[in-house]
Amino acid sequence: MNENKTPKRHLGLKASSAISNTVIHVLLVIISIIWLIPFVCIVLQSFRVESTYQVGYVIPKQWGLDNYIKLLDTNFPQWYFNTFICAVVVSVTQTIIVLCMSYTLSRFRFKLRKALMQFMLILGMFPGMLAMIILYRVLDDLHLTGQYGSSVPGLILVYVASSGMGYYVSKGFFDTIPKSLDEAARVDGATRAQVLTKIILPLSKPIVIYTILTAFMGPWGDFVFARYVSQMFPGAMNVAVGLQSWLATDTMTFNNYTLFCAGGVVVALPVAILFMCLQKYYVEGVTGGAVKG
Amino acid sequence: MATVKLTNVKKVYDNNVVAVHDFNLDIKDKEFVVFVGPSGCGKSTTLRMIAGLEEISGGTVEIDGEVVNDLQPKDRNIAMVFQNYALYPHMTVYDNIAFSLRLQKMPEDVIYEKVTNAAEILGITEYLLRKPRALSGGQRQRVAIGRAMVRDSKVFLMDEPLSNLDAKLRNQMRAEIILLRQKLNTTFVYVTHDQTEAMTLGDRIVIMKDGFIQQVGTPPEVFEMPKNLFVAGFIGAPQMNIIKTELKKQGGEYSVSPFGVKFAVDGEKGAALKAKGAKEGEICLGVRPEHIVLAKAGQGIPCTLEVNEMMGSELHLHVYTEDGTRLIVRVPTVGLDAKEREGLKQGAKVWITFESKVMHFFDPETTENLLN
Amino acid sequence: MKRLTDLEYLMLPKWNKFWYKFIMFFVDIPANLWNGIKGIGGSIASFFKAIGREFADIGKTFAEGDWKTKTSFLVMGFGNIARGQILRGVLFLIFEVVFIWYMITPFGGAYWVQMLGSLGLQGPEKGYDEILDQYISIPHDNSFRILLYGVLTIFFIVAFIYTWRVNVKQNKIAEEILKSGKKLRSGKDDLRSLVDDQFHKTLLALPLTGILVFTVMPILFMILVAFTNYDGAHNGYTNALFTWVGLDNFKTMFSWDVGGVNYAATFGEVLTWTLIWAFFATFSNYFLGIFVAMMINKKGIRVKKLWRTILVLTIAIPQFISLLYVSKMFTLNGLINGALLNFGLIDKAIDFWGDPMLARIMVIVINIWIGIPYLMLIATGILMNIPADLYESAKIDGASGWKQFSKITLPYMLFITGPYLLTSFTSNMNNFNVIYLLTGGGPTNPAASGASGSVGFTDLLITWLFKITTGSDTKYYLASVVGILVFIVVAFISLVVYNLLPSVKNEEDFQ
Repeated sequence: MNENKTPKRHLGLKASSAISNTVIHVLLVIISIIWLIPFVCIVLQSFRVESTYQVGYVIPKQWGLDNYIKLLDTNFPQWYFNTFICAVVVSVTQTIIVLCMSYTLSRFRFKLRKALMQFMLILGMFPGMLAMIILYRVLDDLHLTGQYGSSVPGLILVYVASSGMGYYVSKGFFDTIPKSLDEAARVDGATRAQVLTKIILPLSKPIVIYTILTAFMGPWGDFVFARYVSQMFPGAMNVAVGLQSWLATDTMTFNNYTLFCAGGVVVALPVAILFMCLQKYYVEGVTGGAVKG
Repeated sequence: MATVKLTNVKKVYDNNVVAVHDFNLDIKDKEFVVFVGPSGCGKSTTLRMIAGLEEISGGTVEIDGEVVNDLQPKDRNIAMVFQNYALYPHMTVYDNIAFSLRLQKMPEDVIYEKVTNAAEILGITEYLLRKPRALSGGQRQRVAIGRAMVRDSKVFLMDEPLSNLDAKLRNQMRAEIILLRQKLNTTFVYVTHDQTEAMTLGDRIVIMKDGFIQQVGTPPEVFEMPKNLFVAGFIGAPQMNIIKTELKKQGGEYSVSPFGVKFAVDGEKGAALKAKGAKEGEICLGVRPEHIVLAKAGQGIPCTLEVNEMMGSELHLHVYTEDGTRLIVRVPTVGLDAKEREGLKQGAKVWITFESKVMHFFDPETTENLLN
Repeated sequence: MKRLTDLEYLMLPKWNKFWYKFIMFFVDIPANLWNGIKGIGGSIASFFKAIGREFADIGKTFAEGDWKTKTSFLVMGFGNIARGQILRGVLFLIFEVVFIWYMITPFGGAYWVQMLGSLGLQGPEKGYDEILDQYISIPHDNSFRILLYGVLTIFFIVAFIYTWRVNVKQNKIAEEILKSGKKLRSGKDDLRSLVDDQFHKTLLALPLTGILVFTVMPILFMILVAFTNYDGAHNGYTNALFTWVGLDNFKTMFSWDVGGVNYAATFGEVLTWTLIWAFFATFSNYFLGIFVAMMINKKGIRVKKLWRTILVLTIAIPQFISLLYVSKMFTLNGLINGALLNFGLIDKAIDFWGDPMLARIMVIVINIWIGIPYLMLIATGILMNIPADLYESAKIDGASGWKQFSKITLPYMLFITGPYLLTSFTSNMNNFNVIYLLTGGGPTNPAASGASGSVGFTDLLITWLFKITTGSDTKYYLASVVGILVFIVVAFISLVVYNLLPSVKNEEDFQ
């Protein structure tokens, strides 16, 4: 790293670099432990049979799958189903909408383009929750809320409808594909639609996967709006609202703590595995997005 | 095989920058026209307006007599080669070349025929199954040309196709484009910033600056009769020397006296000046470096040698006169013996003289050639 | 202070350079402000000019147009149909018919717009029926629907006026085209252009409709709600109508005493904490993330991929699970206290969520745990993109490791991630999940508990807003006021930063 004036100092540097590397390794191990502890604990406690409340130790005294079996008797499968359907539908439709939006804003120079982008920027400064209050009431009017049975269609509608606003990352990606490719294809006889399907999309695999992945993960973590729409009807909740409701008060925590752990593991496992498999694309999207702003 | 006609074509960008002013040009069938000029002169914009990639703000573009202003690029029946080649990275070379044919829904066996044929001509047959990433610059260039070739289009547009290649490859590809042109026998519009390319390739050259056409003409025309100071400076390398001096008329004969040395303007140029009735007064005298010759010591204009560039077959001498004017002199090495060459060192005194037959005269105010 | 030329500026000592810039920033504020106002004024003026031009053009089109054009002023699309552009004409006509039908139908557009002024006259109270001699429910207005459909109808009217204008313009263009001897586009051409030169319209139709209906309309609605008395007791359809109250709600929010509650102080307190939180949450993550990324990427560090994967795990697992779980880990009888007690490190359980200061520190620390992995990924990507020759030339210039970091790495990062920092600051201001799932806003602030939604010490404006709308007295109007104030704060910060950052300004720079 540093310039070295004499060979002796050079040796010293090598040694100091070895020391600093050791220090960093130790630091990294500590960081890893801190980062992993909650996850290890949640998994271990989900197997605890002897008590349902919080305890001061991690390793269960008595191991078993009781908590997982008990999950089946709760509304958990319904929550899981609700969330899963949401996630699947949203990941497809939202991706289509986001790609339409970002491709257009990246490639077309129409009259109101700049104004449109500025407008959406300003729109994004309003807290989204403000819109949720009224959307919740509208959905209620349309009989799409918890008291009418299922909240899934309403949730999907709202998740997808405004998703055009989240075009930044994929637009940033499209911007990096040279425009001359579009032009070459248009000269070659392609319509704009063909340019999109035959040139741009095949080149955008990473960002398409990124968009699908983030869209899929969104509904698993949504808490606020799902809570509004479910109106706290157990059958209409998604996993986030449902699992939170198990820990809402101290008494409930006392009864449901290990159950929550088991539920958490069941929710996290498939999502985390999917994420880890597609990690590469996620990283590409996140870094690209931050650089492009 | 088509004519291209541009009438009062204008390009104004959204921010009110005018890129092209009132462009008029008739391109004949099978003609090779080169647009040349410094960057930002509007040459690429004009080409892209012909291609349909850039909206036309005013005037009309006709291809084969049909106004194409509102047609999409795909409906104009043109082919284009881009500066950065614009090969589709996810397709093989074969698919790249076949792309336009597939869009036309041509049968696959015809496509095969055409693509392999083009690949043969361009010598890229062995790379047909590679992706563009695995090709060298020159090979990519060929693929790009191949892609344009197979379309049998009316007009062939090329936007600085050689500027991404290294010097050696560029010379080679230039020759190949000449051959290609003979084979295709179609109308070409070629954009470049390199005057050598323009001179060697074009049937006619369109020299542009700041969105205005400066001169349209064949290569000899623009070289021998540059319409104004800009063209004079742009065409020819090294640049033409421009010297401020006075035009005098004595007894019906014109003369100039740069640096106190008198040169009679006789012959063709003199006759032409007479025919134009040129007045006495300040002018800009243009002398190409190859039209300055070294004179014997003590004869002609005394100069000091500043830099001597050895180009192989010739020397480029950068000299300055006694009043500090810098001039470039091109001296063929053939005529010099070792001792003479030795003498051309930095700081050496040299004497030069001009070939008065090939001088150019420009109005210092309008920058126009006096013989226009 | 005198403005310096570039050369004079370069001659200043280092510290003076900094002060010069700093002072100049404030010196420039009035001028910039004035320019901004001028810019806004200019755009308003040009807007009205444009409207004027439109009217002039409409008049000219009518005066100079043929009978087909003139008829189109009343019957939309007539000109198109008469000139053979059947598809366009029929679409115009259908739109006009639908619009007129919607406006005149009972309880249609006219009703909603008309009611917008009062938000309903007849409330849902029971009326006395003399024949039945009892109180029965009678047909009544619905304030909520009036406001909602009123806004939608206004959207619709604007759309209609725009379409009508397009219809007129098309007649003019068509006349010009026919005059010059060219042919008009057929319906087939129109359809084809929707996948070609007009493809952007096709692509944008669906996303923009979604945004219009599900984002713009609700936000507009809620802005309007801030000027009404819409709350749980006046919900407009089951108990009582709500109506316009002007600026009363804003007055409430900025009053020192409303029925014993000091809203202004509460708002100030929550806003202050929101800003403190956003600042620490953003920058702690940012610098620690860079630090971790640099550690992992340092030459000689083994199993880089493992470290990265472990960190990324926090992103992979849905946030609500990790947040809820960690929140429980730190409760009085949680794992951490249990472990500490077991090891004998403490005698009494620490009340992590009960003490205001401790709770605030905890949310920031836990947010670091959540946030570092994102920043680590981003920083890694950028670090790899820093041109190596920058470091090489720095080394040749004799820069030490620290110098290289402070003179190259950090400025480069800051430049590239400037816009990201801005958005992450504003999104942290609205970071509902972390706060709500960790503390639920608690511990309760006794001084502010009288304010709607029982405000806690870790409450952000956004969680306060949520509590107002879900608490016992759902004061939607107050929530709207808070929402609008959040917008103003975010917009102000963005505007200031946007003007200071070089890298946000030009999107085409990246292309």
